[in-house]
Amino acid sequence: MSVPLSQMWAVASYVVKQRLAGRARYPLVLMLEPLFRCNLACAGCGKIQYPAQILRKDLTVEQCLRAVEECGAPIVSIPGGEPLMYPEIGRLVQELVARKKYVYLCTNALLLREKLDADVFAPSKYLSFSIHMDGLREEHDEAVCRDGVYDEAVEAIRAALRRGFRVTTNTTLFDGANPLRTREFFDTMMDLGVEGMMISPGYSYAKAPDQEHFLRRQRAHELFSRILSSPKRRWKFNQSPLFLQFLMGKRDYECTPWGNPTYNVFGWQRPCYLLQEGYAATFQELIETTKWEHYGRKSGNDKCRDCMVHCGYEPTAVNHTFSSWRGFRDTVAATLTGRF
Amino acid sequence: MKDTESLEGWVPEIGDRVTLEEVIERAFDYRGNVTVVRADGARLEGYVFNRNRDVPVPFIQVFDRAGAGPYDILYSDIRTILFTGKDTAAGGSYAAWLRAKEGSKQRSGTTPAPDA
Repeated sequence: MSVPLSQMWAVASYVVKQRLAGRARYPLVLMLEPLFRCNLACAGCGKIQYPAQILRKDLTVEQCLRAVEECGAPIVSIPGGEPLMYPEIGRLVQELVARKKYVYLCTNALLLREKLDADVFAPSKYLSFSIHMDGLREEHDEAVCRDGVYDEAVEAIRAALRRGFRVTTNTTLFDGANPLRTREFFDTMMDLGVEGMMISPGYSYAKAPDQEHFLRRQRAHELFSRILSSPKRRWKFNQSPLFLQFLMGKRDYECTPWGNPTYNVFGWQRPCYLLQEGYAATFQELIETTKWEHYGRKSGNDKCRDCMVHCGYEPTAVNHTFSSWRGFRDTVAATLTGRF
Repeated sequence: MKDTESLEGWVPEIGDRVTLEEVIERAFDYRGNVTVVRADGARLEGYVFNRNRDVPVPFIQVFDRAGAGPYDILYSDIRTILFTGKDTAAGGSYAAWLRAKEGSKQRSGTTPAPDA
């Protein structure tokens, strides 16, 4: 695992505090979507299909900071839309870093070199660029429906690393992904010098343009087993090893939909980052009035049946690490041995 | 109506075949602008981004075509909802990308076998 010690400590102490306080439901990562606009239209994305007046909307920095305060999570992930198209992204990140929040800025990197050249960001242990990379050149450009995006993202990664920024990658895998090519892709990202990689199966968004390539659960287990069963020591993942074992089918976890709550121009999204079953005006209202028992695999909800996405299951894995000696031991063992 | 069919252009008549609650659910799920027809005949065109049916007085929330709002409208104040705007989730750009990619592969003679 490649997460810096200070970040691990911040998360661990936060989780312990929540547990000591007896909180049954607490967030780990705030998914902050300041806009829905994007400069790509990826085949597997169901996030950006809105009428023009909605795509023109931005949260204000003040709205974002209020959400961060309300939620209290130690990590803030900024997806979207494309966050580098958010006019105040520099100020937003600066404010979050000043609050000692660990920020993952999730970007397709098309605008990253331009923003770096304009000194919009300053390197910090609190800021990571999480670059969307769905595979090597052919696979990635196919996934984002535009040629040349992979090459630009690679150049942007190099530029960010040269300037001393933390850089991770974020990879979504779909049905038909080739395990050998994916392993080659991991090698390439490590060669580039990224701090760590995040991987997840895609969620079958009802609104995504491509409805044919979402992974069903058994297929996902098979795919991730083939990719991760003999991992190279040099591969570093910026996520819980227990979550990776879950992807491989070695662990049976239930979803923690409140673990990564989502705030966007509509408010607090129920119940999670992926499903849109309504909105709450405040974080407290989200936690207290969402019918959580209707979600997760055991609920029988069709929309949750095949979902194995990290926003729901990584919080479960993290909670497992800190709620039992066995979970802690298994996490340490996987981290030290590099095996899942 | 199948779930996979676009509702673009749908003009539902509230009655025995479809209830207001069903139409509101469809409008909430729809990724385009709609026209909310109020009980007094007034119309509001915009995007229905939320509905809350689990409160004593159920309501919907709408951003209008100019992006102003949100406007709260009670279920009891809605006569019907017309699906007047373009369905932005209909997948046109993806279909165009697939066609372009296929055309490019055919031109370069690299079309893979279907099971490759």
